[in-house]
Amino acid sequence: MKAVGARLPRYDGIEHVTGRTQFVDDVRVPGMLWAKALRSPVHSAEIKGLDVSKAEAMPGVHAVITWKDVPLLEYGHLSALGIPADEPLLARDDVRYKGQPIALVAAEDEETAAAAADAIKLDLEERTPLFDIRKAFDADAPKIHQWGNWYPHFENEMDRRQIRKGSIEEAFDKADVIVQGVYRPAAIEHVPLETQVALVVPEANGRLTIYSCTQALYFSLGVVAAHLQVPLNKLKVVGGTVGGGFGGKVDTASETMSALAARKSGRPVKWRWTREEEFLCSSTRAPWHMEIADAVTKDGWILGRKMLTLHDSGAYARFSPYGLTKHSFHHTGAYTIPNLHFDGFVVFTNRVPTTAMRGFGVTSVSFATETHMSRIAHELGLDPYEVRLRNANRIGDTSPNRIVYTDPSTVAVVKALAGGMDVELGSEYASMTRDKREGDLLPEHLVGQLADPEDH
Amino acid sequence: MNLTVNGVAHEVDSAPLSTLLHVLREELGITSPKAGCEQGGCGACTVLVDGEPRRSCLTAVGAIDGAEVTTVEGLGTPEALSPVQQAFTHHYAAQCGFCTSGMLVAAEAYVRGGGTDEPEAIQEALAGHVCRCTGYVKIIDAVAAFARGEEFDLSTTAASPGMTNLGGAQ
Repeated sequence: MKAVGARLPRYDGIEHVTGRTQFVDDVRVPGMLWAKALRSPVHSAEIKGLDVSKAEAMPGVHAVITWKDVPLLEYGHLSALGIPADEPLLARDDVRYKGQPIALVAAEDEETAAAAADAIKLDLEERTPLFDIRKAFDADAPKIHQWGNWYPHFENEMDRRQIRKGSIEEAFDKADVIVQGVYRPAAIEHVPLETQVALVVPEANGRLTIYSCTQALYFSLGVVAAHLQVPLNKLKVVGGTVGGGFGGKVDTASETMSALAARKSGRPVKWRWTREEEFLCSSTRAPWHMEIADAVTKDGWILGRKMLTLHDSGAYARFSPYGLTKHSFHHTGAYTIPNLHFDGFVVFTNRVPTTAMRGFGVTSVSFATETHMSRIAHELGLDPYEVRLRNANRIGDTSPNRIVYTDPSTVAVVKALAGGMDVELGSEYASMTRDKREGDLLPEHLVGQLADPEDH
Repeated sequence: MNLTVNGVAHEVDSAPLSTLLHVLREELGITSPKAGCEQGGCGACTVLVDGEPRRSCLTAVGAIDGAEVTTVEGLGTPEALSPVQQAFTHHYAAQCGFCTSGMLVAAEAYVRGGGTDEPEAIQEALAGHVCRCTGYVKIIDAVAAFARGEEFDLSTTAASPGMTNLGGAQ
């Protein structure tokens, strides 16, 4: 514990305050071209025609890349885990969100690149877009994804992330009250001060050096190598200096297309997104729709929870199946509920694809479950701290995915919160510990639900 | 056109309507001002023009012919940090570092202009600067300490340039 509470020097502190930190945009190489993208101007459309000949002929333009230039067009960030790919690097048959990249131009300067991107002839036939995840299941909803309107490839080809534990029917039969709530946190853009940026330099030995703002260097390495169909040793990714990420730089957003343009032109290529692109086209935290119905006794025990989650994935899957899985494991929050019935869907819409942001998948469910705990207390006329302590995770309790808690902190945290808010707890709660529930402290509904932490 | 940047005289070749940000970064190779939004919204490109903080992304270089420009590179060096750089180091006010250059020169101008350690006044002075990492508290603490003229022992908070380990935490 030498580091906790100590004043430690930052390895990059002096560089930051003297302006010497080298972010991707600060790297200088001779002969560098600037890239600009042609992006979809609409939310959903079939691509009827794409003609880049005029752009290619413009003076100062060195490369225009489209889907035809990508050796492996579809590769998913979770392909290495066996999750199939659904998203083309550059749009081919259709566009599914406003801002989806269709072509990338590399030219002598930004103005020329932008003018050339504007000169690309694009023929689109617009379709009716889908934005509301609640309407995705309707029979007359627009069909917007080749897999259907929700992700169908969870284990055993299930179309949902499902958790079943105990007997939900028994819990609802025994309940004094059913407490229901619907929670809908919105999308959030990460807004890093440094926009998405990559600089790719073709080296004389045939390798590409990729300067990347990524938070996930090995994702970028694998994703670029797969799309380009080159072995990993043909790429050198230089990362580690990120001008703010917050989850938004986990997706490989700019490196791959920059690499293709560098390879095609034989020149170093930098692609730095504008702030407008960052807001409109970079991935965001997902909007979620969560419905909770809890079977509760009048003294505040939660016997069972039914929950439905719709996770807005945007136009493609990316990391969303992983985010929803984490979400499902945390859907009881910091509390123990023995009988569970959870269904979660990764739903496609014609929004920009969503991604990680600070507690991927968990922040949303924490918002819902904590609000719901207070709602239970309010509806029953109980103290919200005491309802939390009553149901708090204790040693030997088990999580929705049957992990045994050996070091739970709920009791300590809720008591500290009450103390900080000058709330006086009843004696039963003030003396509560996180010890395993036994004897009088073991309520009937948790009998048979506890595990021995020694066994795990 | 001519500019004096951090005490060095330069003849500028870029067109008069080029932004000062473009001239500094792309023509003169001075990269501490950042292109965070290029719309005047984030403050990361801020430099001092004749001592006043200015958005270099919104300043046409032709409009400031003959001006004295100061960037972070002109405040101090790794071996001899200026007081505001020391304050930011001591208070861990730079996290990812991308907004830091603009914050530093704005803080420098604020205190040079007689700014005090009053938090509300510091917030007002830095209101045009966005930081997404720190939550601003450490930045305001650093500027307040700088305004008070505090001196710091940086032997624990600073690290020598190029240092890549965690000091005593190994």
